[in-house]
Amino acid sequence: MPPAATTDSHLLKKDHLKGFLRKLSKEYRLVAPVRNRHSDVLFTVIDDLDGMEIELTEPPQNSLKQFFLPQQEQLSTYSVTPEGYEFHPTQAIIPPTVYFGVHPCDLSSVLYMDVVFSRRQRDPFYLRRRQGSVLIGINCNFPSPNCFCNATGSGPFIEMGSDLQLTDLGDRFLVETGRAPGHALIKRWQGFFSPAEAKDRAARYQAFLEARGRFSRQVHVEQAIRRLEAGTVPEQVWEDLSLRCQDCGGCAYVCPTCTCFTISDQQRDAVSGQRLRNWDACTFAGFTAMAGGHNPVVAKTAAIRQRFEHKLRDDVRLTGRPSCVGCGRCVGICFGGTDIIRFVERACQGSL
Amino acid sequence: MPQTITDIYLPRQAKVVQIEIENSQISTFVLAFSAPLFNENFRYQPGQFMLVSMPHCGEAPISISSTPTRPGTIHLSVRRAGKLTNAMHGLRVGDTLGLRGPYGRPFPMKELQGRDLLFVAGGIGLAPLRAVINACLDQERFGALTVLYGSRTPSDIAFQDDLALWQQQGVDCRLTVDAAEAGWAGAVGLVTCLMDGLTPDLSRSTALVCGPPLMFKAVLGKLAAMGFSDEQVLTTMERHMKCGVGICRHCHMDGKLACVDGPVFSLAELRRLKIMELAEAPASAARTSTTDHLR
Amino acid sequence: MTNSINEIENAEVILVSGSNTTEAHPQVARRMLDAVDRGARLIVIDPRRTRLAECSHLHLALNPGTDIPLLNAMMRVLLDEGLADELFIEMRTENFLALTGVPLPLINQAAQLYGRARKAVICYCLGVTQHVCGTENVQTMANLAMLAGHIEKKDTGVDPLRGQNNVQGACDMGALPNMLPSYQAVHNEDFREKFERAWGARLPEDPGLTLVEMTHGGAQGVIRGMYIMGENPMLSDPTLTKVEETLRGLDFLAVSDIFLTETAQLAQVVFPAACFAEKSGSFTNTERRVQMVRQAVAPPGKCRADSEIIIALANRLGYAMDYDSSAEIMEEIALLAPIYGGIYHDRLDQGWGLQWPCWDRDHPGTPFLHKYYFTRGKGYFMPTSHIEPGEMPDHDYPLLLMTGRIYHQYHTGTMTRKSERLSRESGQALLQINPADARALGLRRGETVRLVSRRGEITLAAEITEQVALGMVYATFHFSDAPINLITNNAFDTGSGCPEYKVCAVRVEKIMTN
Repeated sequence: MPPAATTDSHLLKKDHLKGFLRKLSKEYRLVAPVRNRHSDVLFTVIDDLDGMEIELTEPPQNSLKQFFLPQQEQLSTYSVTPEGYEFHPTQAIIPPTVYFGVHPCDLSSVLYMDVVFSRRQRDPFYLRRRQGSVLIGINCNFPSPNCFCNATGSGPFIEMGSDLQLTDLGDRFLVETGRAPGHALIKRWQGFFSPAEAKDRAARYQAFLEARGRFSRQVHVEQAIRRLEAGTVPEQVWEDLSLRCQDCGGCAYVCPTCTCFTISDQQRDAVSGQRLRNWDACTFAGFTAMAGGHNPVVAKTAAIRQRFEHKLRDDVRLTGRPSCVGCGRCVGICFGGTDIIRFVERACQGSL
Repeated sequence: MPQTITDIYLPRQAKVVQIEIENSQISTFVLAFSAPLFNENFRYQPGQFMLVSMPHCGEAPISISSTPTRPGTIHLSVRRAGKLTNAMHGLRVGDTLGLRGPYGRPFPMKELQGRDLLFVAGGIGLAPLRAVINACLDQERFGALTVLYGSRTPSDIAFQDDLALWQQQGVDCRLTVDAAEAGWAGAVGLVTCLMDGLTPDLSRSTALVCGPPLMFKAVLGKLAAMGFSDEQVLTTMERHMKCGVGICRHCHMDGKLACVDGPVFSLAELRRLKIMELAEAPASAARTSTTDHLR
Repeated sequence: MTNSINEIENAEVILVSGSNTTEAHPQVARRMLDAVDRGARLIVIDPRRTRLAECSHLHLALNPGTDIPLLNAMMRVLLDEGLADELFIEMRTENFLALTGVPLPLINQAAQLYGRARKAVICYCLGVTQHVCGTENVQTMANLAMLAGHIEKKDTGVDPLRGQNNVQGACDMGALPNMLPSYQAVHNEDFREKFERAWGARLPEDPGLTLVEMTHGGAQGVIRGMYIMGENPMLSDPTLTKVEETLRGLDFLAVSDIFLTETAQLAQVVFPAACFAEKSGSFTNTERRVQMVRQAVAPPGKCRADSEIIIALANRLGYAMDYDSSAEIMEEIALLAPIYGGIYHDRLDQGWGLQWPCWDRDHPGTPFLHKYYFTRGKGYFMPTSHIEPGEMPDHDYPLLLMTGRIYHQYHTGTMTRKSERLSRESGQALLQINPADARALGLRRGETVRLVSRRGEITLAAEITEQVALGMVYATFHFSDAPINLITNNAFDTGSGCPEYKVCAVRVEKIMTN
């Protein structure tokens, strides 16, 4: 459905993008997808705007997860002194950051993480990083071969969630303002922006339609969601997936919405140490192992089952949408052949 | 814009005020927070747990075994299991440890008022129920209380002081052991054998069960046979935990999280979940071998 | 490997022998599983029901040490069924003229699958080589491949999966007793002369000692000093008591390593070494691919790359060595090692590295070997017959012990056991024992048992599983608190000196507590 006419859409000429980013980089830490000399595209902190190649079409191999939930983070330090055993909080200083060139899948994942880290309790480590962040997204005109964000409702274009949302219209970007920080940016740098016209918004709609037609895969996520909710996915599916899953945890590490972590103490000397938080994966057998050796999750069938039930059933119950954002990163990394697309295909096979 | 957000992961210091040795494996630690004002204002409900820190050992969830009707200290009854619990057993009065909490969904004390309560426990399982029993006795708003408690041997019977006190206060306490020792005149067998002689008024009874998986299953069967509906049976679940606040998901139970949706559950709620404690057949040992299914 | 890892994906039949691929070579297993999903047939030869065996179409659970009779039987089937590639045999080979516990119909099935495929690969690993007849085992595999004509073409081959990420590179550089770099034999006068001229020093005319010859007795005490780099023989070598005796008996021991290993603890001098992320150079993997490794962080403290340590030592010992970078060393390698003739760091910096042989700067590298001829000219059929393992079970030691690896730990655990996560997943040594054997011994899951052999004994926890067959037990060598090589046999393959880690006789004892 074409976006309603709004006073809040502007144009930014492509030629002027770097100039705008340069201004931003003076007031914010700037993170954007960068193609390095090995041809890999990765979200990177921009410290040399002229020497780095910003890539806006090919999806980055990493997601924004590590910037909001680092792979390893110190939660506190502790010491044992004559006064006793005490913990000292860690206050990381996070500079205000603009995350530029974020595709709808990765934007959706940040919105999901917002729910996870503030729903029941407010996680101060996540929120400290999130509060100073500005999200400038870009819609995807050219989905990649493993992408299926259309099936998860998280792309290829996104209507809200970012502070500014760009659409590539060839020689210019359509820039739509979302939240207040976006409005503020436009106002501050209004010299870069001109008002968009009806024909620009029509071009955006055209780009959206064309993007939707460019997916190589058809993944029936919705059908899988229904079968999971109804409990009609055959037991054999779980057994086969468990057979092939090699417990490497790779999927959880690359997935933008896998936020499970573990907490452990790392001793420094006899009387001090640090408490760390590290990414973890529910597919590891040790994820649920209890002291004394008992493990309530039968690794053979139940670990990988939990993974897909969480993403495609539990999170649907929680937020109304799956937490899988259709980015396809797990497809690239899984060496056993048990990525989420394979699961959906298996779950949807056959009639009930 | 930046606001201070409470560090929910930061433990507070607590001191060991007293240690009660329950048996060779279990001790009850009586603790008070080092900060007096915080200690005074600390509130919790029966069924909740604390995340306990010991130096270099990380954290572990321990049920609170004291009742909030007796403020000033909290009791943690701990059985030796892994690194942290064994370290706790090396504590002496005056030592400190880290605590954060209280976490978890407590027992529904309001709904239990006026009802007859049947407590069935094995070993360390009596610890969280002790909180409820003492709360009931202090508040005097509950019906008849019955405690059925199973231990390995007579020497292993924990909480003996509590049991004696409860008996004096009119609680019907019945004990059994797996294996007798010289001088034991009581029942021998699984705790289900103590349930035979009971005639609960099912219109106003609730059973609270806590113990190892095998005992749990046997007791559920017996309760069903006695006419208890699933809504009338409550338990508290044990799971590996890390954050305690529903984010890290180590305690996942088929869509639920034991640290926030539990650890207290009714059997009716548990029956809707696929969990090992209620699994019918043992998980098959061998995987299937053909790859034809994977096409 | 004779072909490349990615070609495995295109095979129609993959025959895997003695390789626990999903746990030891996950990225190779990836290609195998991709091939299976595309319709390829997977045959696994392994005494244990490994994860890969569970994913296979045919699992030939042979008795350990019976590879030769099994493969010979398969070749018999190929001949009987007329599946031998006669044209290949005539044009490319010479000298053609052939216990196991595997039922004949399965052998038949495996042979037919392999023989009828247009493209088939054999992947093998230490389950084949760590036997007294390891060399003969490999020769038999070569026989089978040549018989069926599954070599010399793209997407076919005989592919050993090397056990470490750069063991191929080490061998390429002559870390072998009988070879100078690029497999130029030590006893060959011309090759020796070439190196003597380049290096300005006399070189020995005769081969040196194998690893186990050095660590087991040091050639009857002839060796008085050792410098051990990045190896932990105190855990990884067989018959550990002999190793300890030898190392303690030396006049001088120097070790370079990144952690203070069991071996380093015996040394008079320990050089702290830089790890892979702290130095630049190249690694050569199992498919002969040379790839750049680029320094990402500075080495901590006084740690230095092994090359820097060696250069400093050499200069102090009176031999001038002057290399400013590993790129400069690579230039010398290209000069003297023909198979690396065209490999330079600036070429390696682009793309995915180069596969040797790469003869000169314009050569693109070689994805698969033996395209038109084998190294010796024609492939030679070496008839082989069954050779009994060094020690088989008997009345006193009735079980057969196999040793190997698991997914989450690596080798002697010097690195992986420092990781909390990996230790959470696999934190203790386990002895895999079949349920029937466990029942007969009255063992419970996780019970600590005593494992005894003629060489020694250790204690470890029992893992009762169907993965291992009746009469056999399995343990890894990752855990220093249960050093399995106190138990293993000091029998060796005569050709290569490779220890027979895969077969020895043991007894499992229940530990009685009061």
